[in-house]
Amino acid sequence: MRVELKGLQKRFGKVLALRGVTIDLPEGSRTALIGPNGSGKSTLVRVLMGMLCADGMVLFDGVEASEERRELARRIAYVPQIAPRLAAPVGDVVRAVAGLRGQAWTEVAAIAAALSLDLDALARRPFRALSGGQRQKILAALALSSGAELLLLDEPTASMDPRSRGEFFRLVESLPSSVTVLLCSHRLDEIRRLVDRVIVLAEGELRWQGSAAAYLDDHAEAVVEVQVVGEPADTWLLARGFTRGATGWWSKALPVNERARLLGEIGRNLNGQVRDVMARDVERLQPDSQGERE
Amino acid sequence: MSLWREAAVVARLDFAEVRRSRWLIFCLLVHAVLAGTFVLVGLRESGVVGFTGMGRALMSWSHALLFLLPLLALSATGQVVNSARDDGSLELLLSNPVSRAAYFLGTSLVRVLALVLPLLVAMPVMALVGTVAFGQQVPWGFLVRGMAVSTSLLLCFVAIGLLISVMVRNQAKALMLTILVWIAGVALIDFGLVGVMLQWELPPQAVFALAVINPVQCARLALLSAAQPELSTFGPVGFFLANRIGANGLLLLGLGWPLLLGVTAWVWSLASFRRRDLL
Repeated sequence: MRVELKGLQKRFGKVLALRGVTIDLPEGSRTALIGPNGSGKSTLVRVLMGMLCADGMVLFDGVEASEERRELARRIAYVPQIAPRLAAPVGDVVRAVAGLRGQAWTEVAAIAAALSLDLDALARRPFRALSGGQRQKILAALALSSGAELLLLDEPTASMDPRSRGEFFRLVESLPSSVTVLLCSHRLDEIRRLVDRVIVLAEGELRWQGSAAAYLDDHAEAVVEVQVVGEPADTWLLARGFTRGATGWWSKALPVNERARLLGEIGRNLNGQVRDVMARDVERLQPDSQGERE
Repeated sequence: MSLWREAAVVARLDFAEVRRSRWLIFCLLVHAVLAGTFVLVGLRESGVVGFTGMGRALMSWSHALLFLLPLLALSATGQVVNSARDDGSLELLLSNPVSRAAYFLGTSLVRVLALVLPLLVAMPVMALVGTVAFGQQVPWGFLVRGMAVSTSLLLCFVAIGLLISVMVRNQAKALMLTILVWIAGVALIDFGLVGVMLQWELPPQAVFALAVINPVQCARLALLSAAQPELSTFGPVGFFLANRIGANGLLLLGLGWPLLLGVTAWVWSLASFRRRDLL
């Protein structure tokens, strides 16, 4: 599904939450929508879902979203960041949502099982009695098995354990290429795995858009951590700008594109002295000025 | 999927929510305790002083309900939509193929049935228990009248509560407003209004108007319309109206006005719910 937002403007009293936002999400595109708290991400997603009215145009496959959104809603699925704490049993919640979309219980249960969740075993338990991760898995299973053409994911793996997160990534990657994905997330692992494009909102305005690779180069930095044995290794690491933590791990932050070179150097120079090594990406607090400014 | 089928799906889920919440149990307990109290205490006491017991017990119970039913209805509905908005359940449900009208219809039906059904069961059960235990005659006419008037009053305040929950986003403010509405409902009856008139020297027409637009007062008069009009029991407005429009007129007023108010409030809240931002 292609989604076009043209001059979208939304005001809450005196606050202008969206200021003339124009975005084009081509069919099959995988886009991350990021920005600080209050930047307008949630407002934009809610306008897309038809829960908020806004000035400007919202087009789905070239057709303006009308007031009667029932048919459109069938083509859109949503995974919220925080699942509601419903008192109803899990079985009733799943049956209600699946019933509205014409999904079979078994389809939802299969996806839930892939996310390490036994839906049948939980069917009688109150939805609110589940952990945040379990509730999020159920909503993710409902969305992923819905056959929707547009997936709106609001920090979908925020409460999931690492294994389930990895499985969720795999499930999203295996969706048909025509499915458009809009992901609200700050998690670099989600951006790296799930999207090819990034849009940055700030104070209700579109501030940046470009490829995910450009965003990661510009906004992320790598942290390499290494644990070694022997004084020569300590000296070598110190000379290359590593700092030693209280637990004995040496760490260094560097641009993402220099990570592979550093890891190679460690392998060559500290052969036999490395007890463990780890590399991860973290978000840089102040974004640089590269990329396509709006 | 049709509007009614969508509403049925929403209603099933909402009923599962209601079933696990405390207010439904509280509502059932209140009906049961009231019924039990009036049957056991009212009938025994009335036997001693020689009144016809069952009618008196039912009359007392109905009066207690007139004050209690609006409170139950408002507390069960005044935070339905705004709490669903706050806890994310509205967002979850309406991100699926379900219309706002179906959501509102399903939720309203569950609240109405959860409040009305216990009442419609408790009143005849109370009457039958009184018959079996104390050998009293069941005043079926008054029983039906009481059930009809109570149902009409419940529908009215369910709709007013839903209107508050749609219009007032803040749950604490909504709770305050429901309490104020209830206080106004139970205070603006004849005897309270006479005090207001004496204190602030309001014109009698204003007092009459305030009394007549109050659905609780209308329901009260409809219940009393079975009895001979007396100033001491009917109050000045009730006494005037009873002599002016008669017993049937009072009954019609007590059934019709709360119902009309309720339908207006419900249609208004539905229109607002469909039109306004949901979050």
